[in-house]
Amino acid sequence: MLDSYLSSHREDILPHGLYIHIPFCRSKCDYCAFYSIAGTNLPIERFFKGLHKEISFYSQRSSMANREFATIFFGGGTPTMLSPSSLVELLQLSRNIFDVDDNPEVSIEVNPATVDYNGLLTLRRGGFNRISIGVQSLNDEELRLLGRPHCVAEAEKTMRSARRAGFHNVSIDLMYGLPGQTPSQWRETLLRGLEMEPQHLSIYELTPEEGTPLARRLAEDVCHLPHEDEVLEMMDITVRECTAMGILRYEISNYALPGFECEHNRNYWRAYPYLGLGPGAVSRLNIRRAANVADVNAYCESIEQAGVVPVEEEVLDDETWFREAVIMGLRMLDGVSISELHHRFGINALTYYGEILSKLINDKFLVIDGDHLHLSPLGLPIANSIMARLV
Amino acid sequence: MKTIRNFSIIAHIDHGKSTLADRMIQMCGMVTDREFKDQLLDNMEIERERGITIKSQTICLPYTAKDGTKYTLNLVDTPGHVDFSYEVSRALASCEGALLLIDAAQGIEAQTLANLYLAMENDLDIIPVVNKIDLPSAEPEKVTEQIEEDLGMDGDTIKLCSAKTGKGVDDVLEAIVKYLPPPEGDPEAPLQALIFDANYDPYRGTIISCRIINGRLKTGDNIIFMSNGAEYKVEELGIFHFRREPQKELSAGEVGYIIAGVKTVSDTKPGDTITLKSAPCADPLEGFQEVQQVVFSSIYPISTDDYEDLAAALEKLKLNDAALTFQKDSSAALGFGFRCGFLGLLHLEVVQERLEREFGISLILTVPSVRYNFYLNDGRELIVDNPAHFPDPSTIDRVEEPYIKATILIPERYMGTVMTLCMERRGENTNYHYPMPGRIEFTCELPLAEVIYDFYDILKSVTQGYGSFDYELADYRGSDLVKLDFLVNGEPVDALSQLVHRTKARERGVRGCNRLKEEIPRQMFKIAIQAAIGGSFVARTNISALRKDVTAKCYGGDISRKRKLLEKQKAGKKRMKTVGNVDIPQSAFLAVLKSDQ
Repeated sequence: MLDSYLSSHREDILPHGLYIHIPFCRSKCDYCAFYSIAGTNLPIERFFKGLHKEISFYSQRSSMANREFATIFFGGGTPTMLSPSSLVELLQLSRNIFDVDDNPEVSIEVNPATVDYNGLLTLRRGGFNRISIGVQSLNDEELRLLGRPHCVAEAEKTMRSARRAGFHNVSIDLMYGLPGQTPSQWRETLLRGLEMEPQHLSIYELTPEEGTPLARRLAEDVCHLPHEDEVLEMMDITVRECTAMGILRYEISNYALPGFECEHNRNYWRAYPYLGLGPGAVSRLNIRRAANVADVNAYCESIEQAGVVPVEEEVLDDETWFREAVIMGLRMLDGVSISELHHRFGINALTYYGEILSKLINDKFLVIDGDHLHLSPLGLPIANSIMARLV
Repeated sequence: MKTIRNFSIIAHIDHGKSTLADRMIQMCGMVTDREFKDQLLDNMEIERERGITIKSQTICLPYTAKDGTKYTLNLVDTPGHVDFSYEVSRALASCEGALLLIDAAQGIEAQTLANLYLAMENDLDIIPVVNKIDLPSAEPEKVTEQIEEDLGMDGDTIKLCSAKTGKGVDDVLEAIVKYLPPPEGDPEAPLQALIFDANYDPYRGTIISCRIINGRLKTGDNIIFMSNGAEYKVEELGIFHFRREPQKELSAGEVGYIIAGVKTVSDTKPGDTITLKSAPCADPLEGFQEVQQVVFSSIYPISTDDYEDLAAALEKLKLNDAALTFQKDSSAALGFGFRCGFLGLLHLEVVQERLEREFGISLILTVPSVRYNFYLNDGRELIVDNPAHFPDPSTIDRVEEPYIKATILIPERYMGTVMTLCMERRGENTNYHYPMPGRIEFTCELPLAEVIYDFYDILKSVTQGYGSFDYELADYRGSDLVKLDFLVNGEPVDALSQLVHRTKARERGVRGCNRLKEEIPRQMFKIAIQAAIGGSFVARTNISALRKDVTAKCYGGDISRKRKLLEKQKAGKKRMKTVGNVDIPQSAFLAVLKSDQ
């Protein structure tokens, strides 16, 4: 497949990702800066119709004719704020309209206690085959501190229900570096998470985003993030414990049993094309990156009246796009393929970066391994500083 | 001549000089209200932002007095900062009178006194004007009393006004024609014209601002600058009415401009006398001095590619800034740059800001230095203003450094703190008197090197903003200097070197290391920072290696934002200078001098 891409210089040969954004939440978490709305009287029905219309719109678009989707991902927000049958309907509609691979990876994010066994069964039978549970912590006090609307028992129950409903590819999200958290507390959460036997884990360091209640509390000295040494120890614990279970780190913050890596996300890191639907969703097709308006009402209004979604567009020039592909690719532990980059962008990374790159390699922050350029164990913890030299 | 008045407005910084000037311009009908823009005379962006006048401008105002007589008022604007006191004195020498402007809320300040003395030295008649009477905190009665009692001025001549609202400004105008004398001078005598300013016009060359003291001058006349004997032919002359207004002639008592094919303003020296080649005057006017640069610093472009642009930008600035000097310089750490001389630290900052803003060049300035006299064992004399040229210590017989006489005006209660500050700065011959109740005028002789960097800021801070400061250069005195070097990861960074008094060297070294530790961000390696005098280290500190970034998640919707964040981080790095493998931010080069506050 890659060969035909290389010979045709056409991106549409590459596998595509389809992302569908559901912008609702039961309540807003204290650390979250993503676009979603919470509360009662959410315009769920109106949004559902709007999204239906946005998907249907692509049936007339010739630009999608040659593009084949290998993965579909329902994210949010909390996708399960929609009923399982609505979600299945949207998935079915997408599969009818887009050219989807015969055996696609179809993921959905769920939050504990937002969907029960029957709901999960509906999703599984409706075609979803991968589930990602927003566990975040397995310590009730920490969950409260984060403003999560669920408890540990509910998270574990959701996991069991998913299993029972036939999901054999389950991921959980966990966060470390929480205010007041010690390395041993983190180890407990992590071990308890591993006991749930997920095939995949997304493990993030908590990032206080500007404007969130958590950032305010930190600024007001109400609580404190752990010391750098402690966070480093947590990072260490993470890699050690996961590896012991045969779960390998394959991206800066993602771990999986071999063969269970998330194809949809890997698609982003490989700088492959993707189409995003729903308010705030982002697409990148060829040199054009477009973000749908991040406002449910504006989104619905425009769809209803004009049949289109307002987007904010960014056009990438070749070099910017190339550098973006490099820094995204370096997030993965096996890094980027120099020959593939060269074929796709016509740029040789080694000569392009010259001394900057050779210095990073000499200093052992980056490693050249055959055709692959990747971060070393020394470089991984300071990936940002390294990427800032290459962006 | 009877209907001409030549005057200046003198004031402490921020007492409203430019606002009053603008209001008078408006009241004389020079601009319509619609055209009236705040601070017409302060043109440069930096001047507007800082609220100070750097480059003075002169304007000729047609004024009809209440009795119907038509007058010509020449308002000679003066720069308002201690760095420019010589320029101020030359502008004042072209006037017969001055408005002494005092803030109704602040009262008399150090520069009020300094300017008053300057005006008195030039035999000017003075009208005290109390400004800002519209402020809620204004105390015009109290300030009036201060002026009468402390400055010993006639209470009847004091005018109250608010330049901001316009209230009382008509009385000020009327007082100018009533109390200030008309110019004297003999139009038939040989020409003596006093240069008090020069500006550069890209089409016409230098526009010389001058006051005709005696004689007359016409277009086509051949003139001589008496300081250097340079000859020019007058292409155009006239008066300033916002735009230049050509005239047939300028004669004794008038203030105006001359265009005579002078290529750069540096050829025109404030205080110089212009005379006619055909009928020269016997002697030049008194008071001429060559402009003295007292602060020296090297300017380097952050990106070495910008060197040519920096050279071109300095050439351009120099066209309009006679006080700036520069010559090529080079540094092992920073590459090629220029050693520049400035009138003072404000002048330095203005030049830096103009280079960055108007020419878009990111710069590194090295630690400012004064000019030292070295007397060597072999009898040679060496003038050094650059630490790089510090002679081998074993060859030095003795060293001299410049001193200033500082005048500090403070409320009584700060006497102790200010005394301590001056002692810390190696002050000598302190003296004080009470020019007015509750206030102390504190005089002190200080090494110039001790005040060039942050003295005024610290004075302001220890006196809660009440202290004001003025200085004049005094003389050169014996000193004991050493060269303090800083090393980053074992490599000396020549641009951080400084010449310091031996007694201060260790303390400066320790402080400098700490400042560098604060300014240099953690990097991928451990960084050692050391201070050394001669071959011996006097301080060391380490910056530990960066061990982790926050590794947030990153999916399809985050990519653009993530890339932009990294690009920002990269741009930040670009503004740093890499020495060895260490990125040193621009700010670090000046921070080594900062004291603890």
